[in-house]
Amino acid sequence: MKALLMLAIGLGAAGIVPAAAVARRSPVVVFLAPLIGAGMAAVAAGIELGAGGSITADYIAVVVIVNLVVIAWWLTARRLAQRTAQPPATSTQAPRMSWVWASLTLVVVLGCLAVPLMALRAPMIGWDANSIWLTHAFMVYGGHHELLTGLQNVAYQFSNPDYPPLVPAVGALAFKVFGLGNLHLAAVMTILLSACALGVVGTGIATAGIGGRRPTRIAGVVAAGAICIAGFAVSGISEVEGYTDLLWAAAAVGAVIWGLVLPRSPQALGVAWISAAVASLTKNEGLTTALIILVLIAFRYRPISRREPMVRSWAERAGFVVLPALPGLAWAGLIRHIGVHDAFFKSAPAGAFKSASIETPLSRAGATIAAIGPHLAVAPVALAVLLAGCWFLRRDREHARLGNPAWLWIACLGSLATLLATYVIGDFEIHTWLATSVSRTTIFAQVVLYADIAIWMVIAADGAFTRADRQSSQRASSAGEQVPEAPEGPREPLSQR
Amino acid sequence: MSERSEQIGKRVGCAAIVAAAAVTLGLSIHHDVQFTASVTTPKWIAEQAVKLRQETCIYHAIRAQVPKGAAVYVISPDYRPTQRLSELSTLWAVPQANLADAQWRLSLVPAHGHCDGLALEVRRV
Repeated sequence: MKALLMLAIGLGAAGIVPAAAVARRSPVVVFLAPLIGAGMAAVAAGIELGAGGSITADYIAVVVIVNLVVIAWWLTARRLAQRTAQPPATSTQAPRMSWVWASLTLVVVLGCLAVPLMALRAPMIGWDANSIWLTHAFMVYGGHHELLTGLQNVAYQFSNPDYPPLVPAVGALAFKVFGLGNLHLAAVMTILLSACALGVVGTGIATAGIGGRRPTRIAGVVAAGAICIAGFAVSGISEVEGYTDLLWAAAAVGAVIWGLVLPRSPQALGVAWISAAVASLTKNEGLTTALIILVLIAFRYRPISRREPMVRSWAERAGFVVLPALPGLAWAGLIRHIGVHDAFFKSAPAGAFKSASIETPLSRAGATIAAIGPHLAVAPVALAVLLAGCWFLRRDREHARLGNPAWLWIACLGSLATLLATYVIGDFEIHTWLATSVSRTTIFAQVVLYADIAIWMVIAADGAFTRADRQSSQRASSAGEQVPEAPEGPREPLSQR
Repeated sequence: MSERSEQIGKRVGCAAIVAAAAVTLGLSIHHDVQFTASVTTPKWIAEQAVKLRQETCIYHAIRAQVPKGAAVYVISPDYRPTQRLSELSTLWAVPQANLADAQWRLSLVPAHGHCDGLALEVRRV
């Protein structure tokens, strides 16, 4: 109950104005607001480390500044819109949900999230939840000196001191409000934030079906609820023990759905950027994956074109990546500035599993692929659904203005390639490292593939009621209708079929 | 291929996609429901409550037995409690990587009646 209050008031209320400014009346606002609050808490922890102060004072300052900036921007944009009095370009508007469908989506998503959250009845605190996140939450709680000296203390090297501050900052804020009496509180906050990130994914999938017929909308709402439970299912026990892997993975999948799948719009872009920022502030893997997704979003929203000036277009793309990744990159720079480095590549902590001298890059790669494989059991189904979808439903996807599925798959494969490279180049003994981590590091790939399947299900629910692709395009051209433009982005995978 | 057969083909394809998605998502939901049921049994909840109570007890024992701000070195035969002592010392004591830098040595030892079978042992270095 305390954690729910903290989520709703401490984080949600602080983030509701920015969330509403970005997502307007979409049900995603409910899940986005606490994530924005958590992101602001992470920024406050960065300020606490770099400049001083306490987490409470820094958090209040960040919340006030962000909210004032958003309100000022909102008012300015509104006045400008009234002065110019131009009707909004419909092609750049996000699909709007009626309040009935928005309410239904909220009820179903919240109801489905309640199923895995029943596990919170057991007060579990997992290994990393103690070693990393609770320890860092104590440090953040203690103020600038405690945080700085704690992260620099070699006795804490086991806790991966370079990890980003979102989860510890939220835990520290909860302890500031409710005291240090219940250590499980920090773990519960992490789990609730993971649920919010899955809520962003779910509402994104429901939004994909909102422009269709009633069966499509129903399929969208059902798929939204299903993906929320599936996210917890692939994460297993670690996610109800306060691990953060589902949080960054679900936030990154949210960025994929809103930034690379849903129709291009300022709202969808805003939600995608916030989700990517949350992923980048949660864990190092989240930062690398968020960067991959942000690069893809930049190319989707600013496609390469010969008509535009080269310098300007590349500067815009760089802005699309750097702006949302700035908090995560700033933390990474700050943590290296104070002399703390990534334990995986520099040197393994004392007593931990050091790399065996007989290991070669090839043997490490082989072991990694063998370990990752069983965790991607959903991949063959996702691939089959992708092929069937591209064959039967390509034009339906274009009609719905959804992004080319290649974007999602590139994000998934890019994340897996980074993961493989980390395991191959890393300093730890590979088999122990894989045994203790691979089930968690593959959560993003699994959830994003489940999300792809769910999106295709929504399109198929709509496509079953429309005419076959070739027939509908012939009818459209004979009637003089404009055939919808091909999906933006990488066209090769579809055009080659 | 005639229009009709193409239309039938598309409907079959849509049905296959919906079926594959429903089965895949349904299986994962089934898995999660089973898992959640397994971690919400009274026995499991009681076990976890004992673990949390033990951890909280050690957390308070450190604050009761170790002077605030003391440099401590944690050592136990088992790796896990050693690390746990460093974690729970945070905000109160300052864990040291070397015994030579510490003023106090902390260990966890089996004991009856203390923290559910464990007790904090504090020795001056």
